[in-house]
Amino acid sequence: MFTIIAVDISGRHRIDAGYYMVCAAASLEITPASLEKVNEITSDAFLFGKPPELPDIVRIIETTTSKIKKKGPLITERGELFNLDENLSKALFSQEIRYQESIGERKAIELVHYVSLSTRNLLLRETGMNITAGEENTKEEEDP
Amino acid sequence: MNSFQEPAADAARNVILVMRTDPESDPKDNSRKSDEFSELVKALNDKVTDIIVQARYPDRKYNVGSGKAKEIAIAARDKRANRIIFYDPLSTSQIYNLSKLCGEAGANCRVMDRFQLILDIFAERATTHRSKLQVELARLRYELPNARMLVSLSKKEERAGWGGLGDYEDSYEQDIKKRIARINAELKKADLEEEARRVYRHKNGFFIVSLAGYTNAGKSTLFNALVDERTESKDMFFTTLIPKTRAFVINKRKILLTDTVGFIEDLPHFLVDAFRSTLEGIYFSDMILLVVDFSEPAEHIRKKLMISHETLWEKSTSNIVTVLNKSETMKPADRKKKFEELSHLIYNPIFISAKTGAGLSELIDEIGMNLPPLATRTISLPNNEHGASALSWFYDNGLVEEILYGKYMTFEFSAAEDVMAKADDILSKVRYSPDYN
Repeated sequence: MFTIIAVDISGRHRIDAGYYMVCAAASLEITPASLEKVNEITSDAFLFGKPPELPDIVRIIETTTSKIKKKGPLITERGELFNLDENLSKALFSQEIRYQESIGERKAIELVHYVSLSTRNLLLRETGMNITAGEENTKEEEDP
Repeated sequence: MNSFQEPAADAARNVILVMRTDPESDPKDNSRKSDEFSELVKALNDKVTDIIVQARYPDRKYNVGSGKAKEIAIAARDKRANRIIFYDPLSTSQIYNLSKLCGEAGANCRVMDRFQLILDIFAERATTHRSKLQVELARLRYELPNARMLVSLSKKEERAGWGGLGDYEDSYEQDIKKRIARINAELKKADLEEEARRVYRHKNGFFIVSLAGYTNAGKSTLFNALVDERTESKDMFFTTLIPKTRAFVINKRKILLTDTVGFIEDLPHFLVDAFRSTLEGIYFSDMILLVVDFSEPAEHIRKKLMISHETLWEKSTSNIVTVLNKSETMKPADRKKKFEELSHLIYNPIFISAKTGAGLSELIDEIGMNLPPLATRTISLPNNEHGASALSWFYDNGLVEEILYGKYMTFEFSAAEDVMAKADDILSKVRYSPDYN
């Protein structure tokens, strides 16, 4: 079994309030073909007024995963980092990062994707965020 | 559009391969892709006369730069190439422009991309009606988006219809669409038959094992070694295109082993769609033997395992065993090092050599351990004509042990749950037979 941290970001499209993104990270024990144990899960929300660029995405992932206590290599989808070559992406992070490879890692990404997506939906509903506010209400970046 | 003369089918063609690579891409990865590309060409018994590589971002007109395109055309003329094959997918206009350039340089060759090459390999290997339909479907799906452009380029000078007001484009596209619909309907019928066969096999308690893996990993050699058969196995890509199923026995239980078509990197989606029913054979098996050529460099194995996992992960719920083939060629220390490097991709590993037979007994034991547990019960049948007929059914569908003959034939019967349910029907028929006492 291996310990990994799977990461996924939901909501990278524009809504009226701006780019409201939720990043979910989970520390998991996996085998090459299955998920065995979930150690811990965390998620963070971010609001951007402009489309997120590569340094923004790196910062989002680093901020969220710093809260995880049980460490392991970060596993993410290639598309999350704008299909950047894996060797180049490694240089951007303070910890080891890899794109998903095995069935177990793909299942881990699927799990955190559900977490980030449903957290985002819940936050949008619970915070009563005005998602139809329009351009003038968007802020540069904040935690709601 | 391509007014060239292809050589006779049995004559080896001269081929020039063209690879455009992105400037920052990994050179090792590019060399692996280039080797694989050459292997693909060999699958059609063609001769690679030259490999032309250019590191640049794609050009809209020729895919490679215009100077390189001219160089390719001259090389094609000088080396009497019959085909120029690009690694990158080419648009219809790029094929047209390159063909035109070759024609101007005096070369007589066909310009195509890797997808068309794979389609050609599949078309050559397809022998059954179903596989021929699958290949044709893939070809039509490939052609459809380019159909309008293809016709407008080839019929540039003429206009169809009275007064030149009609056009050819729509009718050609419509023809392709109609043909796709017809093939889909025919394939659906064939797939239903295949599915019925699969359900029948499961219901009759067969344990189905599939061999999956990257192309040229040694699946057919392992298949031959396990079922003691002579399926064609060659050091060549896509030797197996039509799945083959054979039975063999482990712990007195019948197992069906299926040899399947191999996976390949960047397999175009229209090809995956056309061969979906073939892949479903893998997804719905009880166990998958994921065969890997372990003698290759670790980075190549990693890529190939990654592609295999990507193909399997969404639909397959079967138990996976990673069979590390050709491991006899390595030193134990190298083997250990490579294994540790790839451990995150290797599930239930077993080292074997399909060629020498080393490790096969461990693999057979592993399959045996994964067989679903059997239900066992004691059965008594009258020792008469009806009882004997029922006994023959029990022999065919499960394990019959410790049989005692007297007024009744009493024995221990072990079988899968589904078969056991059927056994009750058989017993009730015997009980209600006229001479049961």
